[in-house]
Amino acid sequence: MPDLDLDTKVKLAIYEITAETGRIPNASTVSDKIDISEAEVISAFGRLHTKRLLLPEPGDPTRIRMAPPFSGVATKFPVEANGKQYYAPCVWDAYGIAAALHSDAISRAIDAHTGEPLTLEVKNGAPILKSYVAHFAVPAAHWWDDLVFT
Amino acid sequence: MLLFRSEETVNDWCAAHKIPRRPLVSLEQLWQLAVHWYANRLTVESRRPAGDEMVSIFASIGLTGPFWDPQSDQWK
Repeated sequence: MPDLDLDTKVKLAIYEITAETGRIPNASTVSDKIDISEAEVISAFGRLHTKRLLLPEPGDPTRIRMAPPFSGVATKFPVEANGKQYYAPCVWDAYGIAAALHSDAISRAIDAHTGEPLTLEVKNGAPILKSYVAHFAVPAAHWWDDLVFT
Repeated sequence: MLLFRSEETVNDWCAAHKIPRRPLVSLEQLWQLAVHWYANRLTVESRRPAGDEMVSIFASIGLTGPFWDPQSDQWK
């Protein structure tokens, strides 16, 4: 990737590794993949956070909590796609993983109030629609105030 | 952004958590949002939509008003 700026190289490495493995990489793994220092990767994580493309793990800048639509930790929105399991931070991002990977996907989620299993499915580039609804508790102007809650 | 079987369980959840009831989004709308936001996320040119682009995207699927405006100061 000789013609790309550092932040773009880091961004692409994060998403390529995540797509391939189902897990968001840490700074060391990204450093190994694109052959730059871990310190440079951590600096890039910070700049990508400013651009709202990722959320570092609170208290640990070497790790990523979210690189939307992917979550770095297990959530109530697991997504199966391409024979791998991913985790989405929220219901929007559960669909987002299918959109980002351009693949069929199934998310075995739950009703947030009752715990009833609710399955979201994307097949051949379109969702299998049901009457379920998503509730957005936080207005758009404040989504990044506390992204984990949002 | 949570998933519910129906508007009824949304209302029950909001009451249980003392959280104001806010807009509901259908799965069809949610899928359109996912495509707008993430279809090119694994590519070189990917970026988060700017504020005015976000407003346009939301409006294109019927989500309008200050709740969907990232520049709105109504919700401080």
